[in-house]
Amino acid sequence: MDEHDLVLRRLTYKLLVDLERAPTATEVATAAGATTSDVLAGWQRLHDEHALVLNDARTEILMANPFSAVPTAYRVLVEGTWWYGNCAWDAFGICAALESDGRIESSCPDCGEPLVVNVRNQEPEDDTLLFHCLVPASHWWDDIVHT
Amino acid sequence: MNLFRSEGHIERWLGGRAPGATIPVAKLAELALAWWDDRLSPDWRPRSREESAEILERLGLTGDFWRLA
Repeated sequence: MDEHDLVLRRLTYKLLVDLERAPTATEVATAAGATTSDVLAGWQRLHDEHALVLNDARTEILMANPFSAVPTAYRVLVEGTWWYGNCAWDAFGICAALESDGRIESSCPDCGEPLVVNVRNQEPEDDTLLFHCLVPASHWWDDIVHT
Repeated sequence: MNLFRSEGHIERWLGGRAPGATIPVAKLAELALAWWDDRLSPDWRPRSREESAEILERLGLTGDFWRLA
């Protein structure tokens, strides 16, 4: 990953936090003084290197891990802002990335009962829950949306 | 990659599928902190596969399931 793409990635993540949502390519282009085409080409390179994940049309961010650009089953409240994690791992990752306490809200995939985990100092207050990862690590990126 | 209330809930959810790996939520929080804490840092650089493997190993997440490609 060259310095140009690192700068693009850094700006993309900064805008995500500032806007409290994933930025559009046009918004990033405006902030960077670049063209939307330049941003989309850079995002494609970042996608290919697993630094973010684009939608199927390759026009919008789907995941800026650990953040999801679209609603998911893992909502995270941090300092008054709701974020979405791509999975349970990423939900905790949002608290880690933002260096903040948080509140994770989800539901048990089996019974549908609500699951709420308060995160304090990067540790869960309720430590009785279990995390299950179905896909082996060697296949995580075969289909990252499924993973 | 989901949270569950108990092993019983995981088994019912799997519905006969081969299980993956189950870890306590406290271990997940440790993993998330090690994996994601630099994600918004201006100094962020892509992690090599070896560096990612070291994180998993340091947390005791070893064996075939946790082996990166």
